[in-house]
Amino acid sequence: MNDRPELFRGNRIFLSCIYWAFVLYVFVPLILMIIMGFKDSKFIGFPIRSWTLDWYTGVFADAEVLSTFGYSIAIAVLSTLISVMVGTWIAVLLEGRKFIGRSVMFGMTVLPALVPGIISAIAFRIYARYLGIEPGMGAIVWAHAVHNVPFVVLVVMARLSTLPKSQIEAARDLGADPLVTFIRITLPYLVPAILGASIFCLLLSFDDFVRSFFLGGYEPTLPVLIFAKLRSGMSPEINAIATVALILTAAIGIWAERFTRRMNKES
Amino acid sequence: MTYDASSQRGKRAETHDTSGRTFWGRLVEWGPYHTLMRLATASPRRQFLILAAFPVLWVLTQHLGPMLQMVRVSLTDAYPVAPGVEQHFTLDSYARFFGDSIFWMPFFRTLAFAGVFTFCTLIITYPVAYFLARHVSRKNQMLFLLLLLIPFWVGEIVRTYAIMILLGNTGAVNLVLKWLGLIDRPIPFMYTSFSMGVGIVYLTALYMLLPLYSALEKLPQSMNEAAADLGAGAWTRFRRVSLPLTIEGISSGCTLVFLISTGFYATPVLLGGPSTTVFAETIAGFFHVAGDEWPTGAAFATIMFMAALIITATFQKAMNALRKGEQK
Repeated sequence: MNDRPELFRGNRIFLSCIYWAFVLYVFVPLILMIIMGFKDSKFIGFPIRSWTLDWYTGVFADAEVLSTFGYSIAIAVLSTLISVMVGTWIAVLLEGRKFIGRSVMFGMTVLPALVPGIISAIAFRIYARYLGIEPGMGAIVWAHAVHNVPFVVLVVMARLSTLPKSQIEAARDLGADPLVTFIRITLPYLVPAILGASIFCLLLSFDDFVRSFFLGGYEPTLPVLIFAKLRSGMSPEINAIATVALILTAAIGIWAERFTRRMNKES
Repeated sequence: MTYDASSQRGKRAETHDTSGRTFWGRLVEWGPYHTLMRLATASPRRQFLILAAFPVLWVLTQHLGPMLQMVRVSLTDAYPVAPGVEQHFTLDSYARFFGDSIFWMPFFRTLAFAGVFTFCTLIITYPVAYFLARHVSRKNQMLFLLLLLIPFWVGEIVRTYAIMILLGNTGAVNLVLKWLGLIDRPIPFMYTSFSMGVGIVYLTALYMLLPLYSALEKLPQSMNEAAADLGAGAWTRFRRVSLPLTIEGISSGCTLVFLISTGFYATPVLLGGPSTTVFAETIAGFFHVAGDEWPTGAAFATIMFMAALIITATFQKAMNALRKGEQK
């Protein structure tokens, strides 16, 4: 923030226009999509002459769609549990420790996050075949878990670097062994980071298309279902499904943002 | 304070504990556990090995494994191997790439698209990040940023679909243009490189915005003020102060966005047309048909990954050189 705003008033007005235009760019498509779900016609497009709630009520009456929601959520939860445990372990190894090959280890740790989507999906598909994992829920959970580990590592490492060393030393002086010290001191300190990373992983997994598409069996995850429906034509039904997914992810995201901010403030 | 909370929990446990020791205290002195821990922590070296074994194993088999296996498959003549057939190593799959323009055209198109889209994302998000970091009060910054985060929690497919509705022939943009009397018949935005660009910029903007924001936020305001006092105009201040000092943010944002945009599959399929086929679609094609095309698909994926790595590494080197040049 400027101490002397008079210097840069012209810029400020110009830049704020760009900011709000950008906000419109990111919100308008989603708002239009939500509105279109209320259109009383099978054809997507403006203008909308009559309105209905049928498409939205239809989502909750459709057993296939509901089970897809459940399937996607189950995959997200399972893969997040794995990512968080593995990621925390790797972060504890990497943070504040010097050893030969540390930078190589770090590079390999973040690799899955840097591989472009389609290549990562192909590599997982091939490796799943190699390991003998059939396409389906197990394969998707595994791929999501591996892909999300780097995000957990980065978030947990950032938090771990702020843990006062004195607390660890105090615990050790009082007779706690490394494991107990970790469970009683380090882990409670990491809780906000772990929760934040978990929510991020849940959203990444729930929203992921490319890995779910290439590793899925006959049962589609939610993004794969929407994709399949889109390929056979746009319909307000898809708008309704997508809107329910949107509300779910946005609500979790906002809640997590507020929650982690509060946790960070407290500690 | 998390530490306080845990110590209070400890006190609560103590009040229930008649012997005056906590669960953890008793655990530490419990024979079998004690022996196990003493063995595990006998030397710092052993302790480190126990801590490091699982992460190293995981990273090698799960992070590196899939990539190495992909490269291996790309060098074989058939995968998966049918029983009774011998597998040979060959470079045929790589030769196939250069042999047919139907393969290398989408490849170069993808790289060109990714480059252009990355640049567009940079141009669009830089002023937004600048505004957030320099012209919004600290108190409001998080709120303004959160506003932009919300749409980005929504998945790739849902946002791609939203763009389809926006740009369709009966979409909102055409409706507004018609209403303004600028056009009589709708402009066919969809299934072109334009619709693809709008979609991909929409999906990647945040990955550019966040690095730029954190780079701009670190920039001391006094620098801009000093430049202004010395008579530098807005453009000169941007060109001589802000831009050189945020090269690191630009470099990491561009790298991230470039890598992500080369990897999109669903967005080009849904928003692009026959003339905008990207390499991701070419690669995917080999996995939808019979299994013996896998080596080719793997080879093409390897080529793309290598190209993306070389380009981003070169780009980062160039940006680093630029930064050092500016500092002189």
